Amino acid sequence: MNQAILTWILAEKDLKVECRSPQAFLTTIFFAVLILVVFNFAFDPGSQATREATPGILWVALLFPGIIQLNRSFQSEMEEGTLYGLTLSPIDRGLLYMGKLLANWAFLVVVDLLVLVVFIIFYNFSFSVQMLWVALIIVLASVGFTAVGTIFAAMLCSMRTREVLLPILLFPIIIPIILAAVNGTQEVLILGETEFLKRWLQLLISFDVIFVATGFLLFDYVVAD
Amino acid sequence: MSLQIDQHSRKLARRYIQVATGLLIPLYVLIAVALYGIFIYAPTEREMGDVQRIFYFHMGTAWNAFLTFFGVFVAGIAYLVTRKAWWDSLAAACAEIGMVFTSIVMITGSIWAKPIWNTWWAWGDPRLMTTMVLWLIYAAYFLLRSSFPEGDKKYKYCAVFGIIGFLDVPLVWMSIRWWRTIHPVVITGDGAELASEMIHVLIISLIATTVLCITLVALRMAMRLNASVVDEIVQKFERRGVTRS
Repeated sequence: MNQAILTWILAEKDLKVECRSPQAFLTTIFFAVLILVVFNFAFDPGSQATREATPGILWVALLFPGIIQLNRSFQSEMEEGTLYGLTLSPIDRGLLYMGKLLANWAFLVVVDLLVLVVFIIFYNFSFSVQMLWVALIIVLASVGFTAVGTIFAAMLCSMRTREVLLPILLFPIIIPIILAAVNGTQEVLILGETEFLKRWLQLLISFDVIFVATGFLLFDYVVAD
Repeated sequence: MSLQIDQHSRKLARRYIQVATGLLIPLYVLIAVALYGIFIYAPTEREMGDVQRIFYFHMGTAWNAFLTFFGVFVAGIAYLVTRKAWWDSLAAACAEIGMVFTSIVMITGSIWAKPIWNTWWAWGDPRLMTTMVLWLIYAAYFLLRSSFPEGDKKYKYCAVFGIIGFLDVPLVWMSIRWWRTIHPVVITGDGAELASEMIHVLIISLIATTVLCITLVALRMAMRLNASVVDEIVQKFERRGVTRS
């Protein structure tokens, strides 16, 4: 219980910073919406082919804000030496990871769900119960994405080339997430079935469990010294 | 003036070269036998024809590509536990050879696929795509390696990335498998669907490529050690005011 409270305190610190300066939040959403708009110009908006590609468009639009958020996530901590202070405090390093993960995840889920609303409007879907499935996919996919991303972001936070390196490290690893998310969304939005959806959700959950556990164990080596 | 250089590294490097040269003769024999087997002993496949003969080489390199990837994973864990630089240099050597082998797997696969599948590349096939993701992870691994100066930090980060990359492979495999596969399943639960001569050749090929892989890893490790010795000598000269021209 104590550990859960500690994790929450660590996450709350980051979330408070986000709430007090919503600039980053707004910029990230704006960027995602911009991608949705650009895709509308890139593909013929009226055609059936574009309609079938909409799950892919949604997930590309959600991927880039995630990268932006991860790149930022250790920035303020580096500037003010917070990370150094935190590593000196008598907290298990794994909990530092969980706190960061929770904050990144919460931020990303809020951004992604707002982008989903814009997506539904732009691409003329309806606000039905089906959309709850998409929301669930977003929630689960964000866990795995931030679980791996937070470790890499911590590794790269002192690098000058981190903006380029982070996606290079992250994209090959999260291919299962992208596949599961796009295909799961396709099941719901285009095919209107939930038959194979369960399978993709299972894959997302196994990815989440494996990499949250891995991150928890390995974070010690990433932030030590 | 005399230079004190790291005798231990030099000795170790010499040891690896001895291992590699010791393996050379068995390696040549194995390769010769494998080539004989592939081109003369093994029967021509009924439907695919001679192009099927690339399979023995393809399987051998594929198996080693995964083996070296496993090596990166194990060496990564061992480094995090022991903090001995030796493990990192093993991981790096495995990754280098693994990258070469993975590239060969994709190239030989494409050469085979063009006449048989009528396409160089099949998106959606689990084996093909998993190999490609493996290649991408190796590539990212080297970019990470080249971004940090030598030292504990670099070795730790590379170990962490190697571990995550390895754990990711089964998930990549599963996720792509749930699309339709067109890759021929040669070895099933009921045993291999191959003529017995073909199996003999396959086994020889696997052994030959594995010995080749070990030889190359040993050579790479010797090269890394020698490079660090040379670096040390250069640094010592520079400290005495001698600069590289």
